[in-house]
Amino acid sequence: MKAKAYEIVRLKNVTKVYKIGYYEVVALNDVSLEIKDGEFIAVMGPSGSGKSTLLNIIGCLDKPTSGEVFINGVSTKKLSEKKLTELRRDTIGFVFQQYNLIPTLTARENIELPMIFKGMDERERENRVREILEMLTLENLADRKPMELSGGQQQKVAIARALANEPKILLCDEPTGNLDSRSGHEIMETIKMLNREEGMTVILVTHDESLKKYAERVIRLRDGRIVDVSSTGN
Amino acid sequence: MYLQLAIRNLRRVKVRSALAMLGIIIGVTAVSSIGIFGENLKRVVLENFQDMVNEVIILPSTTNGYDSIDEKTLSKIGKSIYISELIPVKSKTAKIEGEKSTYAIVYGLNERDVEELFKAEKGKISLKRKCVVGNTLAKRLDIRVGDRLRIGNKEYKVSAILEREGARFDINPNNAVIVSLQEFSDNFNLEYSMLIVKVKNVDEIENFKKFVERSVNYKVKKVEVFELKSIIERINRAFNQVNLFLMAIAAVSLLVAGVSILNIMLMSTIERTKEIGVMRAIGAFRESILKIFLLESLILGISGSVIGGILSLGGGYLITSLIIHRSGDILNLSSLLYMAEGMFFGTLTSLISGLYPAYRASKLEPIEALRYE
Ligand SMILES: Nc1ncnc2c1ncn2[C@@H]1O[C@H](COP(=O)(O)OP(=O)(O)OP(=O)(O)O)[C@@H](O)[C@H]1O
Ligand SMILES: [Mg+2]
Repeated sequence: MKAKAYEIVRLKNVTKVYKIGYYEVVALNDVSLEIKDGEFIAVMGPSGSGKSTLLNIIGCLDKPTSGEVFINGVSTKKLSEKKLTELRRDTIGFVFQQYNLIPTLTARENIELPMIFKGMDERERENRVREILEMLTLENLADRKPMELSGGQQQKVAIARALANEPKILLCDEPTGNLDSRSGHEIMETIKMLNREEGMTVILVTHDESLKKYAERVIRLRDGRIVDVSSTGN
Repeated sequence: MYLQLAIRNLRRVKVRSALAMLGIIIGVTAVSSIGIFGENLKRVVLENFQDMVNEVIILPSTTNGYDSIDEKTLSKIGKSIYISELIPVKSKTAKIEGEKSTYAIVYGLNERDVEELFKAEKGKISLKRKCVVGNTLAKRLDIRVGDRLRIGNKEYKVSAILEREGARFDINPNNAVIVSLQEFSDNFNLEYSMLIVKVKNVDEIENFKKFVERSVNYKVKKVEVFELKSIIERINRAFNQVNLFLMAIAAVSLLVAGVSILNIMLMSTIERTKEIGVMRAIGAFRESILKIFLLESLILGISGSVIGGILSLGGGYLITSLIIHRSGDILNLSSLLYMAEGMFFGTLTSLISGLYPAYRASKLEPIEALRYE
C-alpha cells in the first residue's frame, strides 16, 4: 500500500561527534536510514543512545559531522543557513518534551508565529489558525497564555503550532514525557490522527514501550548505532 | 506582531524596562533642557545687540601709523549713499576735577547724537558749554546736575547725568564725560578717534566697506572698518559652542542610559536563549530575531525620548526662568529644535545599545539555544 511512497527522509552514513574539551562523544555512528512519506516511525533506545541527536539532524537543527541528509530528495549539506531555516519553517514541525511555547504569546499567537515568519498575510493566518484550532479542538483555549494551560493542553498547542505551515514531517521528541498517562494518550491519539488523516510523516522519539503500537516501524538505537529495525505490522 | 511581541517582552520585566527608560528620559531631558536654556540665554544677550546689526565702526588704522581720522576722510565717508547716520566721535583720557578728581574718558560728540544714543537719568542733555556725565562716574565722584567740572583747561557745568548703559562696542559712557565736538577741539585739538556709521540696510554693509576701500583706503590703509554684525555673529558662534559643550556634558547621562539598555538587553538575550532557539527551530530567520530585539531597545529609546522631550520643555523653562529670570517664549522654534535633537540622540543611543545584544541573539545556534536551560 505505502510501498510506492517516496523517501521523504534519507540518512546516508551519518555520524555525529561532539567534542567536549579533549573528549569526544560519538552520538551517532554511521547511521543510514530511509523513511517513506507518510510513515510513522518510533525511535527507541536507552538514554544517551543518540535519539535526540538523530531527530535534530533530521530536523536540520544540527549538522552531521560526516555523512549526508536528504529531505524530500534534497541534500541539506550545501544549504545555506537561510535555506535550512526555510526548510524547517515549511517542511518540518517540531514537538518538544517541554512544549516550548513562547510565554508572552497566547495559544492563538503561538500557532500564528511560524506563519508570520513565513510572511503570510493576516486574513490567511486567521483562517489557517481557525482550521488548526478546530482540528485539534482547541477553540476554547485559543486566547490563553501558556501559563494558564495544563501540560497536556500546552502540548496540544505545541502540536498545533507545528502544523502551522502544513509541514510534511512531524518530529516529536518524547512529547508525552512530561505528561500523565491520560493526557499522554490524548496527545498520541492526536499525533496518530495527523499521520492517518493528514498523511504526515511522524518520527517519534520515546522511552515508552507502550507507544510502539502507534508506529509502523520501530528503530532501536544503542550507542549511536541502529541495532534493530522492526515492523509492528500496523 | 513583532512590535506586539517586543512590547510584551518588555512588559515581562516591567521594573527593568522602566529603569532603562528612566535613564533615557533623564538623558534626553538633561540634553534638551540645557540646549533650550542656552538658546534662550543667547537670545536674551543678543537682543541687546539687535539694534546694532546695521552699525559699522570706523577706526584709524594704527598698524599703518594713523592714530586719528581727519576731516577729509569724514566728509568722504559722509558722502556714501549707503549710510543713514554718521556719528563722529573724539575721545581722550583726561583729568576730571570736581569736588573729587579722577582720570576718565572724555568724549566729544554732537549734542544731537548724544540725545539719540543715550538717555538722561537726571537733568536735560545740553552741551552748550556744558557737559553730561556717565552714571558710574557720577556716583563715584558724587557729581550732581549743576556741578562744575574742570576738564583740561576749561570748566563745564553738568547738564545731565546719563542712565546706566549696557555693554556697547562703540562708546561706553558710564565712566565718561561727554562734551560737544567743538569744545573737545578747543580743549585738546585732536582729530576724530572713531566714526560710528549706521547703514541703511544690513545687506549693504559689504558695499559700504568697498566704498570705504575705494574712497579712503585707495593708497594707504588709513582706516579699519568693523561691522558689529560680524562681532554679533562671533558672539552667536561662541554661545553655540559653549552650548554644545554643555550639551555634550549632559550627554554623558545619555551614555549611561545607553549602557543600561545594553545591560538589560544582554540579560534578556541570555534569559531568553531557549525562546530564541525555539523561534529559530520553527522558522525564524536570524534577521527576525535581530528585529525583535532591536525593536525592544528602540521602544525603550523612543518612548523614553518622547517623555524626556516633553519634560525638557518644562526643564528648559525652569532653568531659564531661574537663571536669567526671563522665561519668555520657551515655545519657539529653536527650543523645539533642541528638544528634537535630544530626542534624536536618545533614540540613537537606544538603537546603538540594542545593536550588539540583538546581533548576539541572532547569531545563536538554534540547537545550542534550544538546549539552554
Ligand atoms: N551538545 C552536546 N555536547 C556534547 N555532548 C552531547 C551534546 N548533545 C548530546 N551529547 C551526547 O551525545 C549522546 C547522545 O545524546 P542524545 O541527547 O542524542 O541522547 P538521547 O538518546 O536523546 O538521550 P535521552 O533519552 O536521555 O534524551 C549523549 O552521550 C550525550 O551526552
Ligand atoms: Mg533526548
